[in-house]
Amino acid sequence: MALIRIVKRQEPLGWGSCFVLIAAVALSVLLGGAILAIGGTPPVHGIVTLFQGAFGSRWALEDALIKATPIFLCSLGVAVAFRLQVWNIGAEGQYAMGAVGATWIALSFPGAPAWLLLPGMIAAAMAAGGCWGFIPGFLRQRLRTNEIIATLMMNYIAILFLDYLVYGVWKDPASFGFPMTPVFSDQAIIGRIGATSFSWGLTHCLLLGVAVWAFMRFTRLGYEIKVGGDNVRAARYAGIPYDRLVMLVMALSGALAGWAGFLEASSTINRLQPSIMAGYGYTAIVVAWLARLNPLAIGVAAFLLAGLRVGVEGLQLDLQVPAAFGGMIEGLILLTVLAGGLFTRYRFAFKRRLP
Amino acid sequence: MTETPVIRLEGISKFFGSVRANHDISLELNRGRVVALLGENGAGKSTLMSILAGQLQPDQGVIYHHGEPVIFTSTEQAIVAGIGMVYQHFKLVEAMTVAENVYLGQSPTAWLKSREMTRVVNELAESYGMQVRPEALISDLSMGEKQQVEILKLLLRQSSILIFDEPTAVLTPHEAYNLFATMRRMRAAGKAIVFISHKLEEVMAIADDIAILKRGEVIDIMPADRVGSTAELAERMVGREVLLQVERQSVEPRQLVLTVENLQDDFLHDIDLEVRQGEILGLIGVAGNGQKPLVQTICGLRRPRSGTITLLGLEWERFFSRHRWDKSLSYIPEERQGLATCRGLDLLENFLLTTRSGFTVGPWLPRGEAGLKAQRLVEEFDIRPPDLNNLAWQLSGGNLQKLVLAREFHRKPRLIVAEQPTQGLDIAAAEDVWNLLLKAREQAGILLVTGDLNEALALSDRLAVMFGGRILATFAGGDRDMVERIPQMMAGLTQEEMT
Repeated sequence: MALIRIVKRQEPLGWGSCFVLIAAVALSVLLGGAILAIGGTPPVHGIVTLFQGAFGSRWALEDALIKATPIFLCSLGVAVAFRLQVWNIGAEGQYAMGAVGATWIALSFPGAPAWLLLPGMIAAAMAAGGCWGFIPGFLRQRLRTNEIIATLMMNYIAILFLDYLVYGVWKDPASFGFPMTPVFSDQAIIGRIGATSFSWGLTHCLLLGVAVWAFMRFTRLGYEIKVGGDNVRAARYAGIPYDRLVMLVMALSGALAGWAGFLEASSTINRLQPSIMAGYGYTAIVVAWLARLNPLAIGVAAFLLAGLRVGVEGLQLDLQVPAAFGGMIEGLILLTVLAGGLFTRYRFAFKRRLP
Repeated sequence: MTETPVIRLEGISKFFGSVRANHDISLELNRGRVVALLGENGAGKSTLMSILAGQLQPDQGVIYHHGEPVIFTSTEQAIVAGIGMVYQHFKLVEAMTVAENVYLGQSPTAWLKSREMTRVVNELAESYGMQVRPEALISDLSMGEKQQVEILKLLLRQSSILIFDEPTAVLTPHEAYNLFATMRRMRAAGKAIVFISHKLEEVMAIADDIAILKRGEVIDIMPADRVGSTAELAERMVGREVLLQVERQSVEPRQLVLTVENLQDDFLHDIDLEVRQGEILGLIGVAGNGQKPLVQTICGLRRPRSGTITLLGLEWERFFSRHRWDKSLSYIPEERQGLATCRGLDLLENFLLTTRSGFTVGPWLPRGEAGLKAQRLVEEFDIRPPDLNNLAWQLSGGNLQKLVLAREFHRKPRLIVAEQPTQGLDIAAAEDVWNLLLKAREQAGILLVTGDLNEALALSDRLAVMFGGRILATFAGGDRDMVERIPQMMAGLTQEEMT
């Protein structure tokens, strides 16, 4: 007979859940080391290289922060949808559509002044990304399609659409056949803050993070999202238009990912090219779970996972570890964190001897 | 009485955080005796039985099984010790047959011998006076029959201690009668039985010993034959005189607040009814005769297929497209947990569920004012524990119902649809609910859907009897001839058949 028994917790685990989270991440790093060992790389050296590459230099930290920007915004978006228990796996595609929308404005009106052009690009990115979120939301409520599958499939459509544009109609004639648009005009590029290497995009993250936090916490819609996420029937009982709420939240979720696409195109790459698709939309899902959908925690988690990406780049160069290793660690983190949920919701009782 | 008790609980205490659910409880269960556990909502009955069934562990105290101290750290251990529980919510596989469910998890071999299983289940059922067919699918059974399957599961395990958690709450009067017959046979077969109920008549009818719980303590325990009447029992239970008959002043009925004309769909046939402000229309019937679809249609959760519904002067579609939070429709559903509240949200958020429009400022929903209001209502309605930060699932069913009532009456409704509003409540709480409904009647028209004849008669100005998706008759509460015929009508006999 088992000596340990699992008992549901009566009181929520407070700070202990933080410890569980750290333990989960540590375990995934440990497993990552094992994978390195199997691949013939010395595991301890590999992990140390990973962390040094990620957080060991000023350059690495800056790079991590730059990569964290799109991850943060995408994650904010999926977190809003997850609150409603709608599983938006389509941040990747919504991000792609956002980049396409922003690029369309940037290429169409290159001469417009920045104060007009940048808001226009943001609006177009949000509209395009929002549309890409709204469609699966609409299909879910009207035709009862599964939003996980619909959003996932629409990612491919969006990415291929982006490819079609940069390989075809938007290809820069001066690019020697490379699939990329011309560089944006100066007015379409978000500049850097003073002499630092950080773009003003960081301030967008800050503002949007606070806005989403306030939206979820203080607005009526935020409250209704919480209700809908807890109990759909109670939401309908309370007169909450649940169908419309799902579509709205999906559009909002997509708009935030679209904004991320705008920032990446305008501030980091300064044009549209296939390499803009780096899997940020999928990392965002891991980040959202890691952060338990809390906006501030999403910021921290986005930075950490962006650091992981930077670290893996170093690992590739120094130890010839394949790039896929980053994805494996990411997946491991998601799995261990989800499994760690067992410890926060249940406690383990050791069997006492009969008196 | 020299025999060792099958189970003896000694000094059992259990805390949930700072809430004392059980305090120093001692109780004996003996072969061939029925012990009734009686108490208000949240008095600790369910906690005590969960401890006995191994789901919870006591913080203090000892359980003696045939005189030997035991610790049940899992339900499996309690089952091995012969303790079986019939829960309020059945744990059955709907797509499987009765015999398969009964044998679930206790098949002696890897191969299922279907004929053998059928035979054993049949014999078992007959020997305890149950009429459930072993080959029937669970999904085709009535609530009473499903309960019989649960009991058969325990009997097949040869459980010697059977716990019934409010077993009659889901049963028709006839099914309850059959259940008691089965319980008497079990008692004769030497089983020890625990019977949890709010219904005093039932306790008096079946119990050998009665234990009264209050705020986690056993305040009184006595043999049933020492209790003179249900009134005496009620008084001991709530510690004050309970008026089972509420004072009812007549109010002049005014304008129509609800009209249903010729409503038809798969479950409803030709439904016509009217409710006026200032009256209570008691819709009575055995559960499952179309009350649920009717209520859901009236309350906007189901679209009417044909026929018209007018609420507060507005046609159905128009009424539900312009949602008003106050002076409108309040629906008090039977399902407190699944429909009227969100289990993962705290009490304040649950309070805001239907009242949020009253506190909205532009796009914002400030919690400050709502919190003050909710706190006052929590005190006024004596919701325990009185902490708005508690999540709904941490409350007992009765306290959750009080929260729903506090919220819905706060909306000053003009039309109330109350569905089994006192089900699962103790007498004191039920009486409070009745008085609230009677008071609300001055401002509102009330459609009271209930299966409890006493409740319907005590409250209603007019009565309607529902059977098979039809309303068989509507008449004044004072119409003695018709009132006498209600039981027959509930069983589906029409007037022509009766005469």
